[in-house]
Amino acid sequence: MAHTILSQWKSTLASSEYATTLTQRDQSLNSFLEIDPGRRASDAEGPLAGIPIGVKDNIAVRGFQLSCGSKILAGHVAPYDATIVSRLISAGAVPVGKTNLDEFGMGSSTEMSASGPTNNPWDLSRVAGGSSGGSAAAVAAGLVPLAIGTDTGGSVRQPAAFCGVYGLKPTYGTLSRYGLVAYASSLEVAGLITTDIDLLETAFWLGTGQDVMDQTSTEHPKSGSGEVSTVGILSGDLELDPPTEAAYKNFIETVKASGISVKEVELSTLDYSVPAYYTIATAEASANLARFNGVRYGQRPIFAENPDELMRQARAEGFGSEVKLRILLGTYVLRSGFQEQYYQRAQKIRTAIRNELAELFASVDLLVLPVFPTVAFTHGENGLSSFQQKLADRFTTLANLAALPALSIPAGVHEGLPVGIQAMAPAFAEDRLFSLARSMAESIPVERPPHFAASIADEISSAGNVAQGDSGTAGAES
Amino acid sequence: MDRAELDVTAELALLNLNETEQADLETAVGQLLEYFSAMDLVDVSGLEPTTHALSEGNRLRPDTPRTATGIEDEILEQAPDLEDRFIAIPNVL
Repeated sequence: MAHTILSQWKSTLASSEYATTLTQRDQSLNSFLEIDPGRRASDAEGPLAGIPIGVKDNIAVRGFQLSCGSKILAGHVAPYDATIVSRLISAGAVPVGKTNLDEFGMGSSTEMSASGPTNNPWDLSRVAGGSSGGSAAAVAAGLVPLAIGTDTGGSVRQPAAFCGVYGLKPTYGTLSRYGLVAYASSLEVAGLITTDIDLLETAFWLGTGQDVMDQTSTEHPKSGSGEVSTVGILSGDLELDPPTEAAYKNFIETVKASGISVKEVELSTLDYSVPAYYTIATAEASANLARFNGVRYGQRPIFAENPDELMRQARAEGFGSEVKLRILLGTYVLRSGFQEQYYQRAQKIRTAIRNELAELFASVDLLVLPVFPTVAFTHGENGLSSFQQKLADRFTTLANLAALPALSIPAGVHEGLPVGIQAMAPAFAEDRLFSLARSMAESIPVERPPHFAASIADEISSAGNVAQGDSGTAGAES
Repeated sequence: MDRAELDVTAELALLNLNETEQADLETAVGQLLEYFSAMDLVDVSGLEPTTHALSEGNRLRPDTPRTATGIEDEILEQAPDLEDRFIAIPNVL
């Protein structure tokens, strides 16, 4: 890993200016919901010593809030650390705050947060993506070098693509889910977001290892060579918007130019990824979110006729519209009489998707595909509707349904906005993703948003003890 | 989905919905269910359902006693209302 990045951030975190600069820079973004670099400060030595990290607010960090972007958990404080957090802390990382998200991770824009939307550092009138939009925007704007997110159907990769940074969704089970607030347990994983591929790889390996607190966690075999000689791409019209189409074509040409052979493949189950995903995800959500009833923790009304009514009101007042929609849908597809038509059929289609991907990976090392059919869309009604956003999850939900690792790789800036292209690998072949990303970065370097051209570490270390220089930071925009 | 089905589902989900929400959700849930019907076109005969992400069978930890993690008090403090070490709910009629 570039040693300068580590030492720059270490001295930045130690600087008294960091907390103030972080807060100031975030004013135009709303990427953080809580900021306090001093709260978990430590002198722990390790490969990540002194690296500040942002943690999505559906992941537990002891002493910090755990709101999940929901009114129902306003004021809730985590009493323990998630395993992924404690492992990075043991390696020297310091959580400096909690990042914004769509409520309980349900959304693709971070507009469904009870704490207001996060803005995209490339264009504040656009969304940062979601649901880990706060984590992606914070990294892209140089507030932190590394952030943790969660990815249930694309929630790390899509905001990473919208913000022009790396976003890794690892193989299911390789990063413990202990301390993640459950949304769809068979689909979701912890993921990592950063602008530095070496830092990404280091943090990922530090986070792996079976965890006794998560029954579904598994030891990573670490057996691959990372070699990539053949890449598969999807045949046919993928219906991408012009900037995404241009970036995707350029990415494939760059892959070819690097000596990797490219093979067109068919994926007949692609059209069913979204319906199968939303059936399974909402079914699991309806069960997982049953625990939020305002009795043992969280917000609740001050009066109710009876305990049942107390719970109903707490949920009615505490949940936002998208969460209610998904709970209702999930409850419906699990209802007696409808299970076979929806839930069981979706689980069988999930098997078909896994089988087809397994067959593909017999002849290619990686699959390269778009992350999202569009670049970051605009806020509000001129953007994509909630339904359109769901349909656009077709490329990302595959990896969750099949438990496979996938990485959103920055693929250049087109018409002023970044595009991310996704590489997907067989289970446990994260090393191939890192290898492809490294080779692509030689031709398509990671770019920074013009208004956040210097990270806070660049700014503080270049200013040294001199007064803060004008390096074209957040102030220019707001 | 018609209003009656929505009401039954909301009841099962312990969700009180106001009239605006009922109208909005009736449309939104209906739209998604209609979209889900695309799954009917897939021939799923002979396919086993995937119920776990990576199936490695059941994994058990050693049955050895452990002490509690020592955060019981912090967990209890998250309750909206406590009486001693009991979680209280508002008086009900």
